[in-house]
Amino acid sequence: MSARDRILAAIRAARPAPLPPAEAIAAEAAALLDAPESVRPRPVEAVLAAEFVRKASALGTSFDHLPDRAAIPLAVKRYLDTHGLPPALALQPAPALAALDWTDIDTHDAVAPDQTAALGLALWGIAETGSLVIHSGADAPILLSFLPLHHIVVLEERSLLPHLEDYAARMAGQPQPRNAILITGPSGTTDIEGSYVRGAHGPGFLHILMIGG
Amino acid sequence: MNAPQQGFKERADAELKNAVLKIAIDRTTGNAERKRAVAVAAFPEFQAARARGRAIKDHVIAHLDHYLEMFERNATAAGATVHWASDDAEARAIITRICLEADAKLVTRAKSMLGEEIGLPHALADAGIERVETDLAEHIIQLAGERPSHIVWPAMHRTREQVAILFKEAHHPPPAADDPATMVQSARRELRAKFLGADVGISGANFLVADTGATCTVTNEGNAELTTTPPRIHIVTAGIEKLVPSTAHAFALLRLLVRSATGGEMTQYTTFHCGPKRPGDADGPEEMHIVLVDNGRTRMLADEFRPMLRCIRCGACMNHCVVYRQIGGHAYGGTYPGPMGAVLTPVLDGLAQSRDLPHACTMNGRCAEVCPVEIPLPTLLRAWRTRSWRERLEPRSVRAALGLWAMAARRPWLYRLGSRIGVRALRLFGRRGWIGSLPLVGGWTAYRDLPRPSGRTFMEQYRAGQAGRAGQTGREARK
Ligand code: SF4
Repeated sequence: MSARDRILAAIRAARPAPLPPAEAIAAEAAALLDAPESVRPRPVEAVLAAEFVRKASALGTSFDHLPDRAAIPLAVKRYLDTHGLPPALALQPAPALAALDWTDIDTHDAVAPDQTAALGLALWGIAETGSLVIHSGADAPILLSFLPLHHIVVLEERSLLPHLEDYAARMAGQPQPRNAILITGPSGTTDIEGSYVRGAHGPGFLHILMIGG
Repeated sequence: MNAPQQGFKERADAELKNAVLKIAIDRTTGNAERKRAVAVAAFPEFQAARARGRAIKDHVIAHLDHYLEMFERNATAAGATVHWASDDAEARAIITRICLEADAKLVTRAKSMLGEEIGLPHALADAGIERVETDLAEHIIQLAGERPSHIVWPAMHRTREQVAILFKEAHHPPPAADDPATMVQSARRELRAKFLGADVGISGANFLVADTGATCTVTNEGNAELTTTPPRIHIVTAGIEKLVPSTAHAFALLRLLVRSATGGEMTQYTTFHCGPKRPGDADGPEEMHIVLVDNGRTRMLADEFRPMLRCIRCGACMNHCVVYRQIGGHAYGGTYPGPMGAVLTPVLDGLAQSRDLPHACTMNGRCAEVCPVEIPLPTLLRAWRTRSWRERLEPRSVRAALGLWAMAARRPWLYRLGSRIGVRALRLFGRRGWIGSLPLVGGWTAYRDLPRPSGRTFMEQYRAGQAGRAGQTGREARK
């Protein structure tokens, strides 16, 4: 008997009645998601973007609000200057970013182990938690979000979702990426005496360029 | 595997004399307790969410075979290889085989309590494979040659000064100062090359999502993604109880987990890992292996410890435990410390090895009050005591004393009267909330303080609290 058979047999032996049909189990599972508003926090702000900014700011994320994508290079330059960083940037190899005018910044699409700053795109933002959603893909390396010290992320205001379940609903039945990551604030740790330190292994700074409104 | 070497009482005694340990524990658990209280107060739906979380776990446990097969199907379709292990030895064998076949020299690991439970660190060492722990706390205890003392903060027994000594010896260059920020930077520098040079990355899983086949990790440091992305192979080890039906169910539990563990609302990185690198992907491992581990869980399914399978490993029960806060995690001698550890260690290591643990409890009920999935921890500890009694594992003196207790317990009015009088008398001994010694239980309080009674018995307070809460729950249910 394989370990698999042993485990499944032990589970079945522990159940007095036979397993209900799959549809019945699915219905019970779905019922456990009923009335989501009764089991999740209520937003404080009426406007989605205001709630997102409130939640993300509380975690140490900074913001710049831009009218459109064309304003991105200038906003990045401003950020790098403010932090006294060289005008160099690892750029997510996405057509939407490559198409911009990067005259003033030295961009490259490889992310170095000691990368100072990188720019990427978020697919969604979740207002409930102030989280950004990124997926791995051909033009979306995961390490771009983890190696740099400064992580700058473009988020379209129209891509904001109210709650975690809204993201789950978007992805239900869809092909899943290798990695789907909800990024909520810069990396941090409380492992030494419980005191909070930013920039543990991932980025110490998270800066969001919020587009449109 | 993880059987305590020495008696619990000897270890607890030794730890109680350790003043530095007491300071270290208080700094972290005190913080965690305060932050959790704030987070729960800011979420009025918490109690309703908790009932829902419990129901989700119960639903999965009742249909575990269904969800395991669904998970296996979907993970396989995503390109992962699913392995099954009945016990720790089988799990270790599977993982070392994968590493050796890949000719792995360097393995990075993102903290997982299951890895500790199955003795993975030793197994890798025995196979001659270099293992690098990447979670900061795990990095600290790896340098110290220790085991985790807490399931969320494995190095919480170490003060900053002690960490500095370890880092100065191990890091090149050594950290310039011993404040936490400088030391975290030093670890970041030191571990970066390891992340990128590893052949295999091993992570645990907080959830296994049945309908997508994804495994979910939650971390604050970002080390899990740096562990699982660069190497050629990603191995996940997970207990079979980690299943959830869908991503939305995982989120419902996540709201409880993070608030209960750290007092936050969301960990910095909540990551779903679904299969290996897709064709054309910019990065990611070529292979993903998932090892599903039983190791006593199906046994729990069949007995009175079944509710323990709901545990989401948040650590709240230990942060709020008066015994844990006096003696720390190492004294428990098993992989898991605190109240949840006192229930799980007899399952994993055998009751004969660990019969002291279920006794190391004041039955004040705080653990069950804060448990986000409503596990009746004191009831389960009492069940172990009964079993220990029935299996005649108790020393004779204890059996005699318990006989008296049982006589009174069968006459509830006598028991209640006795404990009520006792409790009020106890107040006289109390200093600053703690009782250092007590005539009738001398042997016990010699190595740990009892909380000072508030003047009402726990049952009286509990009933008063329940009366208040009943109204509140009723209102929530009607919404
Ligand atoms: S028993 Fe409850 S409180 Fe303790 S770790 Fe498990 S879920 Fe958390």
